[in-house]
Amino acid sequence: MSDFVEMVAATNYSFLRGASHPSEMVKAAILAGLKGIGIADRNTVAGVVRAWDALRQMRAKLPELDFRLATGARLVFADGTPDIVAYPQDRHGWGQLTKLLTLGNRRALKGDCILRLKDLLAHLDGLLLIVMPTLDFLKEGEEGARPQTNDSRNDQLTVEAQPPPRLRLVDAKRFTAQTQALERLRETLISLKDHAPDRVWLGASMAYSGRDGRRLARLATLATQMRTPLLATNDALYATPDQRPLHDVVTCVREGTSLAEAGTRLAANAERHVKHGEEMARIFADHPQAVEEGARLIAQIKFDLEQLRYEYPHEPVPPGWTPHRWLIHLVIRGARERYGATFSRAHINLIRHELALVRKAKYAYYFLTVHDVVRFARGEGILCQGRGSAANSIICYVLGVTSVDPVKHKLLFSRFISENRNEPPDIDVDFEHERREEVMQYIYRRYGRHRASIAATVIHYRPRSAVRDVGKVLGLSEDITARVGSTVWGSFSKRMDDRRFQEAGLDLNNPDIARLGLLVGQLLEFPRHLSQHVGGFVLTEGRLDEMVPIHNAAMDARTFIEWDKDDIDALGLMKVDVLALGMLTCIRKAFTLIETHIGTSYELHSVPEEQEDVYAMLCKGDSIGVFQVESRAQINMLPRLRPANLYDLAVQVAIVRPGPIQGGMVHPYLRRRAEQRRPDAKPITYPGPPGELDDVLGKTLGVPLFQEQAMKLAIVAANFTDARANELRRAMATFRNVGTMPEFESEMIEGMVARGYPREFAERCFAQIKGFGSYGFPESHAQSFALLVYVSSYLKCRYPAVFACALLNSQPMGFYAPAQIVGDARDHGVEVRAVDINASGWENSLEAVGDGFALRIGFRQVHGFRQEWANALVVTREAEGRFTSVEALARRANLPRRALRILANADALRSIGLDRRQALWEARRTPDGELPLFAHAKACELGVEPEVALPAMPASEHVAADYQTTRLSLKGHPMQFLRDRLHGEGVLRCKDVAQGRNGRRVRVAGVVLVRQRPGEGNAIFITLEDESGIVNVLLWARLFEMQRREAMAARLMEVEGEIQKSPEGVVHLMASRIIDRTDLLHFLSEDHQPPLDGPDAELMDQVHSPRDHFIGGQHPRNVRILPKSRDFH
Amino acid sequence: MMRIVAPSPQALRLGMSPGMRVADARAQLPDLAIFDIDRTADAALLERIADGCDRYTPMVAIDGTDGLILDISGCAHLFSGETGLCADLTRRLKRLGMHVQIALANTPDAAHAQARHGKGEIGAMPVEALELPPEETTALRRAGFKRIEHLTARPSAPLSARFGESATDRLARVAGGRDIRITPRRPEAALIVERSFAEPVTHVVAMLAAIEQLAGNVVQQMEDAQRGGRRFEAQLFRTDGLVRSLRIETSLPTRDVPLLMRLINERIETLNDPIDPGFGFDLVRLLVPLLEPLDPLQLPLEGGAVAQDEIARLIDRLSTRLGRNRVRRFAPQDSHIPEQAMLVFSAIDPRPIEAWPAPEPGEPPLRPIHLFDPPQRIEVLASVPDGPPRHFRWRRTLHEVARAEGPERIGSLWWRRADNKGMTRDYYRVEDRNGHRFWLFRRGIYGREAANPVWYLHGLFA
Repeated sequence: MSDFVEMVAATNYSFLRGASHPSEMVKAAILAGLKGIGIADRNTVAGVVRAWDALRQMRAKLPELDFRLATGARLVFADGTPDIVAYPQDRHGWGQLTKLLTLGNRRALKGDCILRLKDLLAHLDGLLLIVMPTLDFLKEGEEGARPQTNDSRNDQLTVEAQPPPRLRLVDAKRFTAQTQALERLRETLISLKDHAPDRVWLGASMAYSGRDGRRLARLATLATQMRTPLLATNDALYATPDQRPLHDVVTCVREGTSLAEAGTRLAANAERHVKHGEEMARIFADHPQAVEEGARLIAQIKFDLEQLRYEYPHEPVPPGWTPHRWLIHLVIRGARERYGATFSRAHINLIRHELALVRKAKYAYYFLTVHDVVRFARGEGILCQGRGSAANSIICYVLGVTSVDPVKHKLLFSRFISENRNEPPDIDVDFEHERREEVMQYIYRRYGRHRASIAATVIHYRPRSAVRDVGKVLGLSEDITARVGSTVWGSFSKRMDDRRFQEAGLDLNNPDIARLGLLVGQLLEFPRHLSQHVGGFVLTEGRLDEMVPIHNAAMDARTFIEWDKDDIDALGLMKVDVLALGMLTCIRKAFTLIETHIGTSYELHSVPEEQEDVYAMLCKGDSIGVFQVESRAQINMLPRLRPANLYDLAVQVAIVRPGPIQGGMVHPYLRRRAEQRRPDAKPITYPGPPGELDDVLGKTLGVPLFQEQAMKLAIVAANFTDARANELRRAMATFRNVGTMPEFESEMIEGMVARGYPREFAERCFAQIKGFGSYGFPESHAQSFALLVYVSSYLKCRYPAVFACALLNSQPMGFYAPAQIVGDARDHGVEVRAVDINASGWENSLEAVGDGFALRIGFRQVHGFRQEWANALVVTREAEGRFTSVEALARRANLPRRALRILANADALRSIGLDRRQALWEARRTPDGELPLFAHAKACELGVEPEVALPAMPASEHVAADYQTTRLSLKGHPMQFLRDRLHGEGVLRCKDVAQGRNGRRVRVAGVVLVRQRPGEGNAIFITLEDESGIVNVLLWARLFEMQRREAMAARLMEVEGEIQKSPEGVVHLMASRIIDRTDLLHFLSEDHQPPLDGPDAELMDQVHSPRDHFIGGQHPRNVRILPKSRDFH
Repeated sequence: MMRIVAPSPQALRLGMSPGMRVADARAQLPDLAIFDIDRTADAALLERIADGCDRYTPMVAIDGTDGLILDISGCAHLFSGETGLCADLTRRLKRLGMHVQIALANTPDAAHAQARHGKGEIGAMPVEALELPPEETTALRRAGFKRIEHLTARPSAPLSARFGESATDRLARVAGGRDIRITPRRPEAALIVERSFAEPVTHVVAMLAAIEQLAGNVVQQMEDAQRGGRRFEAQLFRTDGLVRSLRIETSLPTRDVPLLMRLINERIETLNDPIDPGFGFDLVRLLVPLLEPLDPLQLPLEGGAVAQDEIARLIDRLSTRLGRNRVRRFAPQDSHIPEQAMLVFSAIDPRPIEAWPAPEPGEPPLRPIHLFDPPQRIEVLASVPDGPPRHFRWRRTLHEVARAEGPERIGSLWWRRADNKGMTRDYYRVEDRNGHRFWLFRRGIYGREAANPVWYLHGLFA
């Protein structure tokens, strides 16, 4: 009956206030039969894109939908002004709103916003305003409006000193709070009406407070006096009354209290949901015009987020060219360079096809901008390479963004851009991790900080954080929430299964636990706050702050916009991911070392291809330090898969991942591969129409391993359109779309059956695709990575010393700790020399020995030593010659006492004839600074003192101290000092296990390098190391649970088990019993009390599959065999 | 990040150690019970134990967060020698469930070191016993000095050149017999008298008699000195180590025994937890910490020394006369639910009361002056879904509603209900034709929660 439009609705992007997702609010409004909704969150527009996108998706399904969405923000002021909801009327108004919010954000600490009425008055153009009668405004300084303390900010944005607003009331005491609020409201309305006469409304909501009638009457009087229309709204915070519990929970989280104690800080009732028109008409029966007013307001809005599209920067196009012409020009030039003589018809066709799509979708600027960034990096000698789906594009290849030829590898372009896909392509480029900052600075320079900014990352509630917060709100003990939280392996899991509660020994029939489960489930995926994205840049042609509000980041002088990747995708804004990759740093450093010391110069694409010795090395599983294939699981797979070319490496990279493993693709693939290797191998035959699947599955021997193959399979065998296949990919990639998978299942299976495939084959195909989950690799991505695998293998194979040196100098990166990298280099015949004040520099370096090189450990390996000390030391040494005494070192290099002690502790003074103990004894008496008189005389200032006979330090203690100070020792391995004792007990060496026969029961002991629980967690992998090598222990989960303490606590572990040898020679020890022998480490020296200080926990980084979980949360690279002693701070 | 502070002996045996991350510990032992450390409570317990140790010597000092140092010079003979004292102390503390490490040494630092780093020869103790900063300790070990004797055997000049004066100083204090006197935790009282019992006394009356006797003693001594006491403290030592102390204060100095006993009696009565003799008290001590000059001829003083506040005194008197639970007062509670928005409790309960929210001037009160508990069921005619009542029948009388305001909608405390729901109430303030004002509510929202909501009368406005 009435055309009600809810104009004041908040979402959960009003952090910890709203209790529904933006899409839920839109859906609720549509279901309630409203004609529209206005989404306005507290001082932010972070949620509006999601609402807008949700509506767009619904429109796609219901084209008839008569529904309007207004996108704006609820301005919450810090000066006592009542809240004002602002909606832009047009594109200009949107710019005003975002500029206004930027102004408030930049004044405040990260995440806060300080606004004053004056600011709004300066940005009124094109805004429609609803003044909400509230008393709940912010006060400057409290959370939400904490001022930025740093005054060195951009001048125009600094906070001008402003006295607090003064009410015009003479004697406030005589007036009640209500009259005061009313007076305040009147003032606000007056000033707004002065500036924007026809664009102001007075919002009225019915809170069921017991005196709504009188309140409404007062507001109506005011509205009449002010000639401002009254607008009925429910000031909605959630979609339906069912969200009241959740709203109470977020209120408690916000207030830092529990439900039992929150009292009246909670809302009294559940009325602030989206209400339908009839109900509003009934509640506002006295003011029917107010109910109609929303529709009148929204009719004046001409702005839609759609209008923000395609505002790409124009810089990369030289004058006189259209962007598309210029792109064609660059593509042709690039293609000539890339292909030269091999440039063929096929290439031309593909380029034409891609260019046509690019023209149609107006992406030319986008490609040109990425090209521009890459061109800069190349010019500076910064290694870079595109990753991800961009490698499907020949344009990206010929522009030099990616390094894999899509024609040669038959990559699927529609994975990158598809005609029907309403989102821009996603080009991610990896740069050397140590030099990425230069690239970012270039982007800022080129486009200006007002047009380039980092995107946001929305920090969502994850099971662990949700359990913690909800548990606290429900008043559950920390103990219980920790138990539930601890069952989540890793923090990546997105679902909170009932199983988790059972695992934690908690009964879901208990109402409190059930409530915890229920609310955690609802709170999951709620946005918690905004943070800065790692490297996603957004670039625009116009001013960025007229497009989206900008925030201060936690890091000084950094800013980010308040939209994240999904929002940017949905809006079709341009985003370039400038990512950091450690291996690129390592490769570049290796290239530089080779050029300096050997004289050969390499580039990524000029490394000789397909060298047999390189693959031979990989086939042995000799891959420590190599990109991607260095983890234990990868090393075990190498001898089985036996890669012989670049494509095999791509398969290798992609196959040891949870997706293919869960999809059951590993064994079929290996079996087929083994079959194909036989001389009498028959070609693989595929079911269905002959020849149809050869193209799709031929490369991977009939087993779908890559996302593209799933898509191609759907297109070729089940007749999917490109767009539909893309939807399938998205469904595979996001758990939220789990619900849509059955739809695809029948569509695909029936499609395949209809085209003549056996049903069983179709079902198996789909099961495999489903197994990908979110962990399937796109082929193009695997190909890009494979190239880096090859290059790093090449370096390791041909230049082991250089490779180890570059790897150490690029730390932290990769999977292994310095001790393993150095050990591996020594195994490959590289001489490694200890850190020394008369030979080392900050970096690890190469020293010529005969016709080869030795690796000299640099000061960067010494824990706690600073680069500036190292530089001072090297400069002095080079200018004045060798150091001959501790005192001379201290004086000449002007090192503080702490630096001397660290050097002495690291045993770096051997070249002046002092071992660690003597050096320390000397170093400790060297005073800080020097006395001027002695300095003048250049005399020795320390007198002679009575000889103190120091006992000699045993070798075992030296090794232990080496591990403590540099995490590696060239003098020996801790285990060798325990060998006699262990030998006496009948414990074998790791090497003996590797050479033992299959099925033999043995006992072995070693220090623990890695504890890992991959994928589904059925087995735990533990890697032990001793002086002879390593052994891989496999412990079934059941046995693990029985010996959990031993398995988790042991630094030095003894394992009893059975040797299991695969035909390829991969050896595992199947553990039956774990014994914690950490106590033995005491025998290295009484010095160490190993269990005292745990290693610094660090989460694994993204190069590993998210499902692999290092138990205890420690990356193997950070595991300390011996705890660091406490003398370093 | 949470870390383990104090593992139990069992946890220690399983490899848990102080400083370990709780997450790591849980990874090893998922069933590990973890409790938040309560340093205040720990400190309070240590104080209580220190109180108990006053039985041995007045010279008791708190040593860190987990130790006590007793100067027992000249006291040990009272407990049949040093070993006897140690045995007595250990027995009492073990009965309290403590793990005890006792060491006897000539200096406090040596005793401290021995209690923590192993008994026996000082020289055989590790250098950690010096309790130098960790960096210094590691440096000593790296230099090859692992035990105290390695240090004492060497000249001290090179040592202090490298490790500073503080190291040699610590060495002298721990191993060299340098004695730094402890600072006892409480100043000695001006007057102390005590009486110990051969058999533990379990009756409070007997205790009071003993206190009275001691008070007579004290008064005699004060009279001799022409002084009067302003503060008095009676300490009751329980056999299991607990000490109860009763402190009283007078506004003017006194030595009037009946007054003292009256005040002590009052003090006992006003205790929140009554004196529990347990297995009995074996020692009573009366202290007079504060003496002031007092003319011997001054008359005994009358009147209470405790209650300063007239109302408090009135409450005390009324409560004593009528019974503790007969005199009550209200305190506001922060809740939307009307019947839970206030709390009634004995007026004598010493609990702070927050101010009541001030009523909004010019507004009729939101809450009635009288609340029915439970609310009374009534029959109402009202329009659906949430119209105000037209008329209602209460106590067989039909009330025609003349005016009504509302609803004030109050949701249930969903988290107290198994189904996370519960009925919402719609409250109305109504006035009938005779000018009586009532507070009614409809239980359940029509359609959403209840098909046929029931009405209640919850209160009456004046």
